[in-house]
Amino acid sequence: MTNWLATTIIVVSLLGAAYGLVATLRDRAMDWGHLIALGVVEVLLILQVVLGFLKLADDEGPRDSATFIGYMLGILLIPAAGAGWGVLERSRWGPAVIVVACLSVAAMIARMDQIWTGNV
Amino acid sequence: MSEQNPASEQNPAVDGAATRSGPGRLLVAVYAIFALAAGARAGVQIATRFSEAPLAYTLSAVAALIYILATVALALGGRTSRRVAFAALSVELAGVLIVGTLSLADADAFPDATVWSGFGRGYAFIPLVLPVIGLYWLRRTRPAGAGSAPAGTS
Repeated sequence: MTNWLATTIIVVSLLGAAYGLVATLRDRAMDWGHLIALGVVEVLLILQVVLGFLKLADDEGPRDSATFIGYMLGILLIPAAGAGWGVLERSRWGPAVIVVACLSVAAMIARMDQIWTGNV
Repeated sequence: MSEQNPASEQNPAVDGAATRSGPGRLLVAVYAIFALAAGARAGVQIATRFSEAPLAYTLSAVAALIYILATVALALGGRTSRRVAFAALSVELAGVLIVGTLSLADADAFPDATVWSGFGRGYAFIPLVLPVIGLYWLRRTRPAGAGSAPAGTS
């Protein structure tokens, strides 16, 4: 995995989760900031797919790459689905969805790093 | 208890929106994450090494199907969907308790983890808590006058 990118994704996701949590606690609906945060995460994840496949093609990474590729592609769904599902709810529970989406992305990236290094 | 209740204060349960509104929005999101996690895990396990642990991997697939079913049923929230959701969540609760116990008691039968192993230990025990919250939520959002519920308890 590209370490700087994985770290960036985790940091941005955690910031996005914190931002969503603030709105939830203050009883606010989702705003543009939440959508932008998810958009940034999504772009970073797409970048990770590109770099990930390049590295895999270079024979880096885990020997059994199926799980890793599954994570790498499956994780793309989360910010998009979270944005769509959260924006439909005009209450504090919209940003709460963003919290779940962002924390899931961060957890999945951490897990991907374990799979990549074979440290399962 | 009849369905004709013209004075029913706007009850979102009528059009099935109750289970996905408010906190339910969050519940469905968490279920969707687990549907994805369990589904992907089961898919990889079955595609790459089913023969190593058929029991555990079949259970993985069953768990994944239940999460998918629960996600969709909670998101739809109509009358039939509520029944499906109730069934799925009940099976899920039984599953996490049974598989959780067996995975600790008879570790040999579960050489590889499922979402329910060790009561969902690998997932911060969320699989254990989720069906309980979900069943409570179904009860909270029960439409007035539905089923055998006494009037005024919802």
